[in-house]
Amino acid sequence: MSTIAEPAPRSQARRRMRVDGWRWGGRIFLLFMLLYTALPMIWMLLTSIKSGFAAMQFPPQWWPDQPTLASYQKLLDPQNSVGQDFLRFFWNSLFVSTATTILSVIVAVPAAYAFSRFTFPGRNFLFFAVLLRNMFPAVIFLVPLFILMRAIGLVNTHGSLILTYLTFGLPLAIWLLKGFYDNIPIQLEQAARIDGATRFQAFILIVMPLSAPGIIATAIYSFIGAWNEYIYAYTFLSKNDQLTLPVGIQRFFSENTTDFPGLMAASFMMSVPVVVLFLVLQRYFVRALTEGAVKH
Amino acid sequence: MLRKIWEHRADYAYVLPAIAVMLIVIAYPIYYTVELSFFNTPPGLQLRDKNFIGIDNYTAILTSEVFWKVTWNTLIWTLGSTFISFVLGFATALALHRDFIGRGVLRAILIIPWVISAVAASYIWKWIYHSDFGIIGAVLVQLGLADRPPNFIDSVSTVLPSLIVVNIWREFPFAMIMMMAGLQTVPDQLLRAAKVDGANAWQRFWHVTFPHLRNVSTVTILLLAVANFNSFIIPWIMTGGGPSNASHIWITHIYELAFGRQRWGVASAYSVLLFLILMSLGYFYVRALSGNERKDGSA
Repeated sequence: MSTIAEPAPRSQARRRMRVDGWRWGGRIFLLFMLLYTALPMIWMLLTSIKSGFAAMQFPPQWWPDQPTLASYQKLLDPQNSVGQDFLRFFWNSLFVSTATTILSVIVAVPAAYAFSRFTFPGRNFLFFAVLLRNMFPAVIFLVPLFILMRAIGLVNTHGSLILTYLTFGLPLAIWLLKGFYDNIPIQLEQAARIDGATRFQAFILIVMPLSAPGIIATAIYSFIGAWNEYIYAYTFLSKNDQLTLPVGIQRFFSENTTDFPGLMAASFMMSVPVVVLFLVLQRYFVRALTEGAVKH
Repeated sequence: MLRKIWEHRADYAYVLPAIAVMLIVIAYPIYYTVELSFFNTPPGLQLRDKNFIGIDNYTAILTSEVFWKVTWNTLIWTLGSTFISFVLGFATALALHRDFIGRGVLRAILIIPWVISAVAASYIWKWIYHSDFGIIGAVLVQLGLADRPPNFIDSVSTVLPSLIVVNIWREFPFAMIMMMAGLQTVPDQLLRAAKVDGANAWQRFWHVTFPHLRNVSTVTILLLAVANFNSFIIPWIMTGGGPSNASHIWITHIYELAFGRQRWGVASAYSVLLFLILMSLGYFYVRALSGNERKDGSA
């Protein structure tokens, strides 16, 4: 645009300074957030490689004098009882989370598709009824569910957890996926159906692959939710060999109240699977939020 | 109507599994909770011996001192955590919006607290706040800011703010992700046009970016508020509601009433009250979500 006069050099310099002010403010803020986020995790790692004695010193050893992997060895050693328990809890968590994830996807995909495509009576009501589930805390459902689970014989089984975990993954899963399906042009399916595909085939062959990022995001969300869940597991399970990691670690800590290196090592190992999973797949998650939930 | 439902019978097959699971795990418990709230229940789960006492449970709650204390704590906890998490998350999203070297790595690190389990987070921070060997206390003493390590979570006055710091640590990344996703939808042309018209960075943010993100912001704040109102793990593991109820919020209090003291009736009445509050919040929640919906339809 030739009508805009070139700014005088002095005001240009001033503007650059002001822009730099914002940029520097942003950088300092990011540094602060990085420290706030990372320091607790670094302290967890540093503590986990100390001996029990080294952890309980004042002033603390900022850097461990004699780093040791003893805590990790203890937790991962199938020969000793702590290791046996930890590995069993780990396996239980893995089983429950994987089963929840698979079932969530199987249940959420068709539901989200129907909410996006079909116009059946009660559609909006049902959609919001499903969404409302996220409004309510686990504790409200705890007593009646405990009684219900006892009545159908699921207390102290992983089935009770999988069934309940399904419900809190579902609302967000359906919401995310619906946003995805809303953005896939219906003409693609119509074209497939003109070519002779059934509605189901069109769904499986055309829509499913296009919504893969949404499905991956849904799966991550379900898995992480199930892996980290505590209240139901704490209430429904009492047998030691059934416990999942969050409850198992709590039990471990209530028996060894001063073993902070062990506790930090356990917290670290419990976090590794979900963090790795999330970091590997996070771009799908952010993309799903952008295309599914936030787009308008 | 019935004919219309019948015509769409195949459509329902898609949503049936989702609805069925929801019905078992939600509708039935809600019904049962409402019923129990009108009964005096014996300890243990021998609930056949319960007897009907009308609204006595409710009056007992509303006249108890603990109720008001816990409600006040819940308010501070929910509003404090939600507001600060949102502001920090939004600011981080803005600061990360411009590309620079290491942005992806930084973003990944900042998200980690949101991914790890709240149980692990609670223990990490419990160790950090430890009254004898905690690192914050040690730093304060080394810098000469305190004579001896302060009691963060064993003292009535500091326990709630200390727990809120932990909660924000876990939660701001969620606001960050949502707002980052939202920022990508702000059209560049608008910002450039505003710049050409002479708007400075703050004016561009306040008049272009922020209005564009109204919907995402509303949804994010509501999701955060609901999650905070419903939180349990951090206070439960770090303090168990203590000292002297200073960190009890509604959910931990209900849990203790039910599974600690086995007062199922009172706990149920609490749940029903909670339910009513959440329903009114839920009204805004659905309105915010369906606000997006309408825009989707017209776009």
